Amino acid sequence: MNNQPAQRISKRALTLWRIYGVIHSFILLLITTALTVTVFLWEWPWWLAAGAGGLVVLDAVLFIWLIPGLRWKRWRYEVSEQNIDLQHGIFIITRTLVPMVRVQHVDTEQGPLLRKFRLSTISISTAATIHKIPALDEDEAERLRQSISSLARVAEDDV
Amino acid sequence: MFEPRKLHPISALINFVKTLKDAALPLIVVIFINGSPFSGDWNWVPLAIWGGLLVIVLGSGVIRWLRFSYWMEDGELRIEYGLIFRKKRYIPVERIQSLDFSEGIFHRPLKLVKVSVETAGATGTQGAEAELTAITREEAKELETLIFQQKRAAQEEETVEENAGEQPVEPPRQKVFGMTMKDLVLMAVTSGGAGVVISGVAVFFSQFMDILPVGAIYEELLDWIQIGVLMVAVTVLFVLLIAYGISILLTIMRYAYFSVYLEEEDLIITRGWLEKKQMTIPLNRIQGVRIDENLIRQPMGYASVTIISAGGSIMKNDEHQLKLLPMIRKKEIEAVLQMILEDYQVAGDFKQPPARSKYRYMIRQSWLGVLAAIPVSIYFYPYGLLAVPAVAALAGFGLLAYKDAGWTIDGTQLSLRSRNIIKQTYLMKRFRIQAASKKQTLLQKRSGLSTIQVTLTSGGGGAVARCYYLEEKDTDSVMGWYIDAVTNQKPVEK
Repeated sequence: MNNQPAQRISKRALTLWRIYGVIHSFILLLITTALTVTVFLWEWPWWLAAGAGGLVVLDAVLFIWLIPGLRWKRWRYEVSEQNIDLQHGIFIITRTLVPMVRVQHVDTEQGPLLRKFRLSTISISTAATIHKIPALDEDEAERLRQSISSLARVAEDDV
Repeated sequence: MFEPRKLHPISALINFVKTLKDAALPLIVVIFINGSPFSGDWNWVPLAIWGGLLVIVLGSGVIRWLRFSYWMEDGELRIEYGLIFRKKRYIPVERIQSLDFSEGIFHRPLKLVKVSVETAGATGTQGAEAELTAITREEAKELETLIFQQKRAAQEEETVEENAGEQPVEPPRQKVFGMTMKDLVLMAVTSGGAGVVISGVAVFFSQFMDILPVGAIYEELLDWIQIGVLMVAVTVLFVLLIAYGISILLTIMRYAYFSVYLEEEDLIITRGWLEKKQMTIPLNRIQGVRIDENLIRQPMGYASVTIISAGGSIMKNDEHQLKLLPMIRKKEIEAVLQMILEDYQVAGDFKQPPARSKYRYMIRQSWLGVLAAIPVSIYFYPYGLLAVPAVAALAGFGLLAYKDAGWTIDGTQLSLRSRNIIKQTYLMKRFRIQAASKKQTLLQKRSGLSTIQVTLTSGGGGAVARCYYLEEKDTDSVMGWYIDAVTNQKPVEK
C-alpha cells in the first residue's frame, strides 16, 4: 500500500492546466478592472480595488504557478488486471481502489482544449461511483479504455 | 390473465384525487394571492373556472382509467395507457424485481390494492416501472403468482441441472420481526423531531428564567418587550409541541403493524395503519446494513436497522434505504439479523482511532462553530458569549464522535462505525463494496493518520461509509483486505 501507483498523467496536462489558470485569472482581472473603474467613478473606498487586485495576483500565483505543478506531481494511477489504483489531491491526498470486477463502463471525453493538446479524460463508472483520470495522452486513454473494458466483468446480480 | 384487463373503476376517482392533491398547493396559492379580480356581476367567473377545471380533472381521471389496460403475454407484463398519446410499456418478467402492494383509504373498503412494479433498470427517471392504481386483491395475487411462475420458468431454462419437474408451490412465509405497540410509541416519541422539541423547551425555559428577575427591575417599556419575547417563546413552543404531536401520530400511522417476513429469497415488509404498504426486497439486492442509534435512543439501548439496497429507479430514492427494523433493542439485532441475512454479523470489538486523533475529531466538529462564535461574541457582546458554551458542546460532540469511531474486519465483512450526530454502524460485505479510498491531508500524513471511505450501491447514487483519522497502517490494512484478489469474488451461488 505504501508504494505509489506507477503511472503518471501526461506532462502536457501541466501546460493545459496553466492555460486554464490564465483564463481563470483573466476573467478575475476583467472583474477587478470593472470594480476599479467603479471605485474611481463613485468614490468607493480604495481598499476594495486594492483587495481585488491582491486577489488577482494571488489567484494567478496559485492557479498558474503553484497548483498545476502540485496537482500533476500528485496524480498517479495504475491499472492492473484486478484493480484500478488512483491517487490524487493537493492538500487532501486521496487514494482510491476500484476492483476490476466492479467496473461497469468506461468513457473517454475530450473538450476542444484537450483535443488541441491531444489529451483525453477517462472516466470509470461502477454501480455507485465515477472515477476520472484527467488529461491522459489520447492514445494512452484509448488503450486504457480498451483494456479496462475487456477486463471488466461485472457479475450481473451484484447490483 | 392473457386478456387485457382494466383497473377497478375506483382508480378514476383515485386519479382525480391525486391530481387535485398534486395541484392543491399551487391552487391555494393562486386563490389567496389573486384575491378576486372579478367583482359585481362577474363574481361567478372564478367559480365557473374552478368548476370547469374540476370537471376537466375528473374527466381526465375517468379517461385515463378507460384507456388503461394491462395483460400478460409472451412472458411480458404489457401495459397500454395514455390520456392523449397512447403509450405502451412492455416489461419482461425477468426484469421485474418485485411487486409492491399498498392500500390507501380508497382501497381498503373495496378490498383493492395498488401494485407498483419494480424493475432492475437503473436508467434514471425513465426506468421501466409501472403502477396499477387499483386492482382487486385476487387479481393482484394472480398477477404475482403468474409473474413468479414465469420468472421461475425462465430461470430454469437457464439452469438446466435443476430438477425441472418440481411444481412451483406456494412459498412459505416466515415472520421474522414484528413491532409491539410499546416499541412503536417509543419509536415515535424518540424520533428526530423529539430533539427539536426538547431544545425548544430548553430555550423556552432559559428565556423564562431570564424574565423572572429582570421583569421587576426594568422600566415598563422593557417589560412590554419582555412580554413580547415571552409571547413569541410561548407561541414557538406551542407550534413545536403541535408539530411534535403530528409527527408522533404520522409515525405511528406509518409504522403500525410493522412486520418483516421472509419468503424464499425475498424479504417482505408490511406496515401502515390507514394506508397499508407491502414491499418486497429480493435478498440478493441488499448491499449492506446500517445500524443507527440516535442520541435519545442510544442510552435506552434501542437502535434502528436500515438496509441499503440497489433499487430500480432514482425516483423513489428514499425507499432504497429502507428501515428493516425501525426500533429494536440493540441486543436483539443480532438474533433477528441472523434469521434474515445470516452472513452478516453484528461486529463486537471495534478497533479505535489512536489517541492523537482525539483533538482532530474535536476540531472537526467545532471549527465551524468557532468561526461563527467569534463574530457573534464580539457583536452581541455580553449575550454573544453564550456561543462559547455552544462551541464547547460541539467539541464535546467531537469527543463523542472519537469515542464511537471504529472499524473491524471479520472475514469478508467490514464494519465501520462513526458518528456525526447519530451513531452509525455500517456492516458491509467485501463483494458489495464498489470502491475504497484512503484520504489523508499533508498534516495527517506527517502524524501517520488517515481516513477510510468505502462506497456501496444504493438506488441512483451511492451510500458512503467513513471512519476518520485512523492509524495509517489500519487504513492500509483495510485497503489491503479490499484488494485481496483471491477472496474478492462473490461467493458461488448455491
